[in-house]
Amino acid sequence: MDFHLKKRQRSDIKLEVVSLETKYPHNVMLYKYPPTDDIHIEEFEELALERLRLLRVFDRAATKALRMLSDDWKAYVNAELTREGLRNYLRLCTGGDSKHESDIQTRRRDYISHFILRLAYCRSEDLSRWFIAREMDYFKYKFSALSGPEIKQFLDVVNFSFQPLTEAQKDQVKDGLYESTAGQSVAKIELLDFYKVPFTQVLDLVRSRRCYLKAGFAYVNTHDLVSLVGTKHMDEIEQGLAAAKVFIDDIESDERISRMLKALHNSYVGKDYTVCKDAAVPIESLDQLSKTSYPLCMRMCHEHLRANHHIKHGGRMQYGLFLKGIGVTLEDSLRFWREEFTKKMDADKFARSYEYNINHNYGKKGSMVNYTPYSCLKIIKEMAAPGDCHGCPYKAMDPVSLKTKMSSYGLSPSAIDEVMRYATSGHYQLACSKYFMITHNSTTEPTINHPNGYFEESQIVMGNRQKRVTGSQPQQHQPNKLRSAIKGGADRSMMMGNDDDELWRIAETQERTLQSQQELSQAFDDDLDLTEIQY
Amino acid sequence: MPESNTEEGNGPQQVSQQSAAPAYDPNILPDMLPVYYRRLFPHQPFYRWLSYGLSEDGIFTNREISFTLHDDIYVRYLCYDTPADLEKDICARNPYKIDIGAVMSTRPKNFRIVPGGITPVQRELVFDIDMTDYDEVRTCCSGAEVCQKCWKFMVLAARILESALREDFGFEHVLWIFSGRRGIHCWVCDQQARLLDARGRSAVAEYLNIINYVTYKGSSTPRIQLGDRIHHSLRRALKFVEPMFEEIILDDQNLFGTPKGVSKLMHIISDDGARNELAVYLQKSHEDGTHSRAIWESFARFANSMRTSAANVWSRKLKHVVEEVQLCLLYPRLDINVTKGFNHLLKAPFCIHPATGKVCVPFSVSAVAKFDPTTVPTISQLLQEINAFDDKTKSYMEMPEDKSRIKDHKKTSMFKGVLVFEEFLRKLERSFKENSMDF
Repeated sequence: MDFHLKKRQRSDIKLEVVSLETKYPHNVMLYKYPPTDDIHIEEFEELALERLRLLRVFDRAATKALRMLSDDWKAYVNAELTREGLRNYLRLCTGGDSKHESDIQTRRRDYISHFILRLAYCRSEDLSRWFIAREMDYFKYKFSALSGPEIKQFLDVVNFSFQPLTEAQKDQVKDGLYESTAGQSVAKIELLDFYKVPFTQVLDLVRSRRCYLKAGFAYVNTHDLVSLVGTKHMDEIEQGLAAAKVFIDDIESDERISRMLKALHNSYVGKDYTVCKDAAVPIESLDQLSKTSYPLCMRMCHEHLRANHHIKHGGRMQYGLFLKGIGVTLEDSLRFWREEFTKKMDADKFARSYEYNINHNYGKKGSMVNYTPYSCLKIIKEMAAPGDCHGCPYKAMDPVSLKTKMSSYGLSPSAIDEVMRYATSGHYQLACSKYFMITHNSTTEPTINHPNGYFEESQIVMGNRQKRVTGSQPQQHQPNKLRSAIKGGADRSMMMGNDDDELWRIAETQERTLQSQQELSQAFDDDLDLTEIQY
Repeated sequence: MPESNTEEGNGPQQVSQQSAAPAYDPNILPDMLPVYYRRLFPHQPFYRWLSYGLSEDGIFTNREISFTLHDDIYVRYLCYDTPADLEKDICARNPYKIDIGAVMSTRPKNFRIVPGGITPVQRELVFDIDMTDYDEVRTCCSGAEVCQKCWKFMVLAARILESALREDFGFEHVLWIFSGRRGIHCWVCDQQARLLDARGRSAVAEYLNIINYVTYKGSSTPRIQLGDRIHHSLRRALKFVEPMFEEIILDDQNLFGTPKGVSKLMHIISDDGARNELAVYLQKSHEDGTHSRAIWESFARFANSMRTSAANVWSRKLKHVVEEVQLCLLYPRLDINVTKGFNHLLKAPFCIHPATGKVCVPFSVSAVAKFDPTTVPTISQLLQEINAFDDKTKSYMEMPEDKSRIKDHKKTSMFKGVLVFEEFLRKLERSFKENSMDF
């Protein structure tokens, strides 16, 4: 019996050794079948955190306004991956299909860690959306490193049966291909294989007008196949998350895992500005505050409103929710907007057209959702239309106007240049924190990822507000000011040392993305904005 | 001249010519609406549209309808089991405005009791273009006003959008509606369009929305970067824009006729160096108030010479600067949030605009240039026409109500709009027949 047992064990081990290479044959794989290996709980945690660090790198890259897969973007991501000690993943993203043992190990880590995070991220819409977006960035980066034959091999493995256009078919649409295929020279286009697919499968190419589009079909070349495969990959992850959600209850019966997953999850809920708990800000002080403690985007909304007694929908949303976040009560808010708007319209029209919206923002009407103030990421993404004053000024304003604006606020030319250097290179949030340091004579650089965070930070620096301290949080254990302000700290006690730090940094990045991601779900309810419905 | 007069010379139009159209008075709208909904609103075609031949489950019954009643009372999440229910409710409540939302996963009226809430499952792909977005490029009117000169912006917008929807996306069933005052709505009703998810809608919207707005010197300025090669959709848009550019921008609007107008032209140019050079050049060669044509010619000449000169002072990204300016001024300015929102409500065709009293009539995009927003019939005019017609024929009282009612709109100048609508429906319904034969 003893003998028998030993023999079985040995064959098991042997099976695994053989299977590693066949199991993970390529750097780029669709995460289709959940792994069935046994792993230690320590490794489970380690892999989860490693994956988070990886995704966070892509998250930071996304906020940098660098074009995806451009050289700058790659340089940034590569440097960050190295800094985070994720060199092995970097090799997956850039190296060829090596058979080296360490690379195969990394593939395994890549594969398993993805499935672990699915468990943590399937819990809510917002988490899923963030997870999918970052996974897609990572996937695209890996895919972009593949050579022609490798792509073919990959397509075979995942059963993609696309036939390239024949020469004759290609000839029929060649003018369109020459004109509209982005990123390839005419000479190259002649050589490339093209695939004809329904436009809904390559939405990102359609969105940015990077391919030829005719009668509902997109013509995609080999280099852009990533977009097509990406759609497939995304469906796969979406389905995987939906499936994970179904059996999450089973998993949670294992306390060791559930504690960790839940803590992971809870620590992502970043700072919530939906309801201001600190103080009521009287609207009479807004003029003063706008000069001292507003970030530029809000100051411009405020000034626009004071000057024109009107502000368009996007601005009302951005500024209105910000006001809610800094502590203006609903009653004050109604009074504030009414006083301003009625300089140009009668009170009746205001009541009919705008009051609903303000109540709605405070969750008192319609869907009764208490809306979250916009984060930097959302504001930066906002597309301004004519006559709008919202959006991120560092992005939306022409450099000349931006300079004029800042000098009218009394910034010195050298200070303006400093801010401009960041703004023109696309680092809008860094430009904003520079602006903060200059206007507050502060030497520490704050992390600005939310206008309400800016305001709060400013109030703290000026000594008008205390840092928020959560009860269970020991005072000395705070590398970052913001951290003290994040609520719900109790669940973090299980996360130790570096991991804890790590998670907190994640939480902060997370928070701004999460808030921006509520955008979609909000969009549904926003539609009930009466003023938006066309007459 | 109203286009209906040129094409339909008989019966109803003579009636409308006999007496001047009465001015519309918003205060008596509540008194007119019952008659309008009972006698003129095309209930039957309206249902034919929203039922889509009942080709899919719940396509009519799960559709969200909403009413705006007197004093801006807003009622959402209405839905109807049968066309008769819908008609009865419209005639009973006489809404100031009817909005159409999405087809939901279940009856919208149950929205509070369905666990997890109701979700939209399909909805026409819609576009909204509003004249107010053109305020900075029109000198003839501003705000809510609209004249035939500014309508030309809409003409171009409709043509460009229609061609892109048909040629690039392969959509066929595109319905265009005058929104009653100063804008146009477009409903794309193909099944593929209706079933687009939120991501798909936003991709299509951004594909069609090419203008970025940046704040330059305190005002928002449209900017476009075409790059080295021009995408085929924009090249096609240029084919529409170029022939109309001189007429609209230079002659009608004389947009560059003032120093302020010239600075608008400057602001569109994104390259600082090029902009400054051009400003100097134009200042030297023209006095303030020079006609737009002269300014434009100088600009085009200057841009050409700079582009082709050996010194190549202007970088390669200025290769298409002339085209960029033309598109910035005339490419359709979409309200893309309307298009992106799966669940966005949009005013139904044949509503009465409460401020102008005008009917939101469908128009055909091939005849969009002949459409005149200033002569779209108002509700007062329609009621007068129908009364005049009845007086003349004395038929209304004698005929049984249900038979005569269907035809009432034919007695008025709304007739044309209903015809366009029915033509659209005929094609739409034919596509269902073809589809069902396939299976």
